[in-house]
Amino acid sequence: MTDDRRKLLASAVIVLVIALHAVPVIYPPERGTLWPFMVYAMYKHSRPAGPVEVNQRRILAVTASGARDTVTDRLLGVSVTVLDQQYHRPLMTGDTSVVAAIFERLNRGRTDRYVELDLVSETYTVTDTGLERRENPVVTYRAPGVTH
Amino acid sequence: MGAQLVWFHPDLGEHLNFLRKNHEFLDPQLITRVLAAVFSRDAFFNPTTFTVLYWATFTFGVLALVGLFTRVSLFLFAAGTWIFVAHLFSYGDRHHTEALFAIFLMLLALVPSGERLSVDAALRRRRTGVGGAATSQLAIWPLKLILVLLGLTYLSAGMAKMLHSGLRWMNGYTLQGHTLADALSRGYPFGVWLAQQHTLAVLLSVFTIVFELFFWLTLVVPRRWLPAFLLVALLFQVGLYLTGGYDFFQHMVLLGLLLLFLEPEWWQRRLGVGERVSGGSLDPGVRTSAP
Repeated sequence: MTDDRRKLLASAVIVLVIALHAVPVIYPPERGTLWPFMVYAMYKHSRPAGPVEVNQRRILAVTASGARDTVTDRLLGVSVTVLDQQYHRPLMTGDTSVVAAIFERLNRGRTDRYVELDLVSETYTVTDTGLERRENPVVTYRAPGVTH
Repeated sequence: MGAQLVWFHPDLGEHLNFLRKNHEFLDPQLITRVLAAVFSRDAFFNPTTFTVLYWATFTFGVLALVGLFTRVSLFLFAAGTWIFVAHLFSYGDRHHTEALFAIFLMLLALVPSGERLSVDAALRRRRTGVGGAATSQLAIWPLKLILVLLGLTYLSAGMAKMLHSGLRWMNGYTLQGHTLADALSRGYPFGVWLAQQHTLAVLLSVFTIVFELFFWLTLVVPRRWLPAFLLVALLFQVGLYLTGGYDFFQHMVLLGLLLLFLEPEWWQRRLGVGERVSGGSLDPGVRTSAP
């Protein structure tokens, strides 16, 4: 291949790679599924002036034999974003419709089944005197058919 | 190559866990969909195939690193890497850290890689007595393209903040909130401290927006300013990591490579190695970018 042809080929690849980055911008339905060609709109949300407050939460799962495990993305077999958006956030707002799905995923193939979920959360607030930590009441969910 | 092989390599256990605990994808990436269409989902996306693919990708990475069948190995290593990342991001989660580095790996297969320092070159010299080309005008273009893409990605991030939130993004509270949430959950005490410094958060917010909106100027400013832009970008990425655990290590490596090869006179002058290296450059091939 001559140098001119190599340069032409390189130029074509350069234009193609740059142009492919425009696809997720102009074609929203595929915005999240064209990796490695992505939009970079991370952390675009703002918050109004006022006290800075964030919640930290985790789910503890208790087995029938009493063992306790933190429900992580790995334990559930989901991504960390799905764990937060599809499980943590609904539970934080009192939406219990996801509880059955959590138990179903957790108990696949297990003999010592999980029978209880404890939603543990803390609220952290930035104050003039430092960081204030407040523990919220633990919310307990039991597996279907488990009464205590 | 080395960074991908020993640092950014896929976590096989994580992939096998996804494969064992999921019967379908949540948001299958294009690459995943193509593979599932060609081979069928169950035939390709199973623990056995992925274990074989992992070790094959690793082997091609080693071959590419030592320069044996260099460009074919580079292509297969990059392709394997793309498949693993696309698979990981087919379960409803996507991150930006891997994308540009993965593109860079693939581009290396398209340039005259391994012409000088490789097993291929050594074998060729032994066989024919002729070494590879001393210089190549084409060797540097993947790095130059990455500089363009970095400019695009930072601009995209800055524009998204401005179009979605406007000037309010720089009110300090926004950065405090983002930093506090991530620093707490990931265990970064410096970020927890920063989240309590409102004035500093305002200043860093303004810096973030200015940096992201104007990094693309590296493409048009005089080349002697390039190292300063790249160093600021490197500090930006390191700062993000130290405060919130935003682990853009691939970007850091790319920025380091750009500093090293795009404007080598800058660091050679400071280290006093310019006179010792023939022509003032470590790799004559990259000199094609000099003004």
